[in-house]
Amino acid sequence: MAAATTEAVMEALRGVQDPEIHRDIVSLGMVKNLAVEDGKVSFTVELTTPACPLKDKIEGDCKSALAGVEGVKDLEISFGAQVRGSKVGAGQTDLLPTVKNLVLVASGKGGVGKSTVAANLAVALKMHGATTGLLDADIYGPSIPILMGVREEPRKVAVNGGYKLGPPIAHGLPVMSIGFFLEPEQAVIWRGPMLGKALNQLMGDVHWGELDYLIVDMPPGTGDIQITFSQQLKVSGAVLVATPQQVALADVIRAKSMFDKVMIPIVGLIENMSYFICDGCGKSHEIFSRGGAVRAAERFKIPFLGEIPIVSSIREWGDKGVPILVREPESEVSKIFLEIAAKLAGQLSVAAETAKSGQSLKIVSS
Amino acid sequence: MEKPVPVEINHVRAEGKIRITWDDGHVGVYPQEYLRGYCPCALCQGHDAALGKKFISVPDAKLREIRTVGNYAVEFLWHDGHSTGIYNYEYLRYLCPCSQCKQVGNES
Repeated sequence: MAAATTEAVMEALRGVQDPEIHRDIVSLGMVKNLAVEDGKVSFTVELTTPACPLKDKIEGDCKSALAGVEGVKDLEISFGAQVRGSKVGAGQTDLLPTVKNLVLVASGKGGVGKSTVAANLAVALKMHGATTGLLDADIYGPSIPILMGVREEPRKVAVNGGYKLGPPIAHGLPVMSIGFFLEPEQAVIWRGPMLGKALNQLMGDVHWGELDYLIVDMPPGTGDIQITFSQQLKVSGAVLVATPQQVALADVIRAKSMFDKVMIPIVGLIENMSYFICDGCGKSHEIFSRGGAVRAAERFKIPFLGEIPIVSSIREWGDKGVPILVREPESEVSKIFLEIAAKLAGQLSVAAETAKSGQSLKIVSS
Repeated sequence: MEKPVPVEINHVRAEGKIRITWDDGHVGVYPQEYLRGYCPCALCQGHDAALGKKFISVPDAKLREIRTVGNYAVEFLWHDGHSTGIYNYEYLRYLCPCSQCKQVGNES
């Protein structure tokens, strides 16, 4: 029997597709450290995110692809992850050069639980192994400091001869909020230009360090902050949060139309407050009806990321500054958050590939 | 995103023109006075006019710098300091003065 060769193994692996990006793993550069010796084959598949939801599928596909290669006696596949940046746009200045993926958690209206979803998504991505930060851009009602239980103030850190703001760390995540700079119990009554300036500062002057994902809790609606983000930053994608009832969905449509205009890809839709499981009778109650978001996602071809139930412990622990994922990592709802985060990471990997092959605007002068 | 997006914007200084290459292969050459004339900002176009209908003549317009705006637009910095127009890709394409497109009326 002929001995297996590196070429034959690579050739066989070309038949394995990344299930989300729909290109083979060899041309995507995901196969690393390939060694073939005496029929013993080992390599590392470098996933595009540690939160990859399809690791098992890729592993299985690799195994069956190599089963047909002559001379392979032993197979060892390990997994690593290198998050790819998916920031589109080509501005000469990137206010957040050390952030690979900037993700906006948005909704057309308030009260859908956006901040809670944003905080738990950030924690979930971290639990999957990605370096993640959380930015609270909700100027009008910053709630991240409460939800994450942040007690410290941002501190001054020396960076490249100057000073920047070091974000406080809460539950292992760097967290920044416009709330840190406001007097407690003071309402913000700024007009657009002031808001833009404050946000710019929050972006440019914060020392985030290297991040795979920066999750931004946006203020509700389609106003000044959204415009500032879309004009001044390279955004990877937006996640829309909605509640199931019809009116809330009308707001999803509005938010979508705004992001379409400024060409920010929508990487997912999450339905929050989907149902309530009664702790007395165990029955699932669909308080705001259910499934509206799935239908909207289908209609607008937005990836649907999942349904989050109404669970009183989410609110209870949120009020105490502990995300439910930290408090009860094994609970049903925590599993749902982890799953949603994995799907989101997958969609961002897809967005990264699209952004790379698609637009890369060059501005030249001749 | 099926709408065309620019892949290269070349400021040909010597000719005072801006050459835009799109991802669908289309190439358009925009004279700088023409681009300045159809500046989409409210100062130039007013608040109620439809975009691209009103031409503001700035005969000696000189382009200084081109900057991108987020994922969807560019802004031009003119020699006189004017810079408030955000030209989104759709509008830029709409303005394309080549004989194929020519959707916009002649500058007058």
